[in-house]
Amino acid sequence: MKLLATLTAAIALASTAAFAAEKTLDIGVSDALTGGAAVYGLPQANAVKMAAQEINAAGGIKVGQDNYMLNVIAYDDKANPTEASNSVRKLIDRDGVKFILGFCCSGATGAVASFIEGEDAVMLVGNAAERSITTREIPNLVRTRPPADYTGAAAGTFVAEKGHKKVAVLGALDVGFYASYVDAFEKELNKAGGEIITRESFGLKDRDMTPQLTKIRELDPDAILVVGYVEPAAFIYRQAVELGIDVPRYGFTSGSEEQFLRVATPEQMEGVWDLRPTELTLLSASENGVAYHKNYSEKYGIAPSPSSPYAYDQTYALKDAIESAGTVDDVAAVAKALRSLQVPDEVVMQYLPVQGKMFDVNGQAYTSNGAFQWQDGNWVFVQDLPSDAAAYSSYLSTID
Amino acid sequence: MIEILQQIINGVAIGGVYVLIALGLTTVFGILGIAHFAHGSVSMFGGYLTFFLVVTWGLPLFAAILIAIVVGLVLGVLIELLAYRPVRHASHINAFIVALGLTMMVEGLNLEFFGHEQVVIPTDLSRVFEIGGVTIPELRLYVIIAAAVLIGAMTIFVEKTKTGQAIRAVAQNRDAAILMGVNVNTIPIVVFSISTALGVCAGVMVGSLFAIAPGIGEGLVVKGFAVLILGGLGSIPGAVVGGLVLGITEALAAGFISSAYKDVIAFLAMILVLLVRPQGLMGKA
Repeated sequence: MKLLATLTAAIALASTAAFAAEKTLDIGVSDALTGGAAVYGLPQANAVKMAAQEINAAGGIKVGQDNYMLNVIAYDDKANPTEASNSVRKLIDRDGVKFILGFCCSGATGAVASFIEGEDAVMLVGNAAERSITTREIPNLVRTRPPADYTGAAAGTFVAEKGHKKVAVLGALDVGFYASYVDAFEKELNKAGGEIITRESFGLKDRDMTPQLTKIRELDPDAILVVGYVEPAAFIYRQAVELGIDVPRYGFTSGSEEQFLRVATPEQMEGVWDLRPTELTLLSASENGVAYHKNYSEKYGIAPSPSSPYAYDQTYALKDAIESAGTVDDVAAVAKALRSLQVPDEVVMQYLPVQGKMFDVNGQAYTSNGAFQWQDGNWVFVQDLPSDAAAYSSYLSTID
Repeated sequence: MIEILQQIINGVAIGGVYVLIALGLTTVFGILGIAHFAHGSVSMFGGYLTFFLVVTWGLPLFAAILIAIVVGLVLGVLIELLAYRPVRHASHINAFIVALGLTMMVEGLNLEFFGHEQVVIPTDLSRVFEIGGVTIPELRLYVIIAAAVLIGAMTIFVEKTKTGQAIRAVAQNRDAAILMGVNVNTIPIVVFSISTALGVCAGVMVGSLFAIAPGIGEGLVVKGFAVLILGGLGSIPGAVVGGLVLGITEALAAGFISSAYKDVIAFLAMILVLLVRPQGLMGKA
């Protein structure tokens, strides 16, 4: 009888322990799930959900005796600053979320970054490339994508090395990070004796860029540089061919093959360069990248966009930081752990650690930069571009 | 000189689309006095439908366009009978509110049926012609030709057929038209059918030249009304001239001044025209 009572008590204790061990941790995603920026935001949200499922399948996040299963709450911020602020307020105030991921686009991200420091939450920024996001010394914010000017400078060097002296720029230049990419590009081009002969702009919703391209054609450039979202960029590449512009086309877009082929033919895309962080491209991907591409494609029936792993990697960085901090409640401890984090084994992007850490003192992570070229229907990694993460990190620390 | 000619050619293609949108709007407004805001969304529906028929069903482009036009004709009948006819004798504000509601409804249906992603109608028309240094992509050439044919057909229909004469009679004097034996109940149906079919054609052109996505229809209808005001309310020649002027002005402004202000410059040109001719370029004083 005594044995039975002991056994019953043991089973009860064990089941209580098992029950206590299985907890749910809500994590939020604020991203552009619809609208023009959904080409970046939706794949990011999908990537977070996929990473969360993988983490859950592997037993969740271990904090002490507890195992936390991740539950993703995603809101559509349409890449709009007001919508993003509302989404994050809902996540924090209504859903009680402490960890918010996603953030593909700089305007919306900047709006949230302006108030996140005063919140009991950690913000993990993905594809948004505006430099100022990580110059504000916000302790509870980190970003997986390097700033645009870090890549722009590398692109300028590459184009100058190709021998181009007169480069025409066509871009979404009223968007801050695209303008900063071009500024950094120009600085390096000028050093090599080249120049930007015109800066033509377009709106993110514009699809007819033939007037600007006609003007560029008359200026007889050696090359053109296109900076902007995938869709307008794809129209520019197509319309440049239609107008008979036969000079090398360089870009900063981070679009997948599938996204470009919705607008332009493979023939119209042939030879186009994309000068960007070394994001996911199947032909150059690491083992993790190949697995990510396969799993994502199977799960969502579409290939992942090259920039989507920024959000996938956020999720694993958060997991490691929570496990390292040993808490899901002490947000400051998790934020601090993120800054001390080594690059997790599961990430897809190929990060360049600064002083052995994934994020530098500004909360900024760096990947290498790469030159990709469209060859026979695919983006092909051609070569690395100059990527001195430590030097850029020091420079970033000097900016107010 | 070549640059100016090239910009004009660029502007004529987009101007042709504006003309088709404005033709649909001007017939509805001129004859029925309705500001049919849903016209842009209906155009996008036509573009989406064509995309769906080509990509999902694998129909040839021309067959898909024909089906979309027929669907547009039927849709026009339904819009008139179900949305506008019940408020025909009510205050103008009722039709105005119906128009706004219809816009949201059609936008919502487009989103529900076709999703939020941008789509481009595949055409296989990728050749480029060059005449004296001016390049004309094959697709743009076909768009210009198709717009010209539709404008011509519309003009012949309105000017030369009995139904067209009846439409003009109702537009000029509804009471007199009734006395002359015109069936004024069927005229709005015909007008909406034709207007919607023209809108569908414009949607196909936008979808193949550029892209169809949520929100594009709204921008298009704003341009359509601008053309209406520029050309003269209710005037078919005015819609043609106004559409081409707007398209070419946009292209020249983007090419020679700044693409960032192309809409501003185009609308400034419109205001200037109205200061000189308040009735529009082809409107009657």
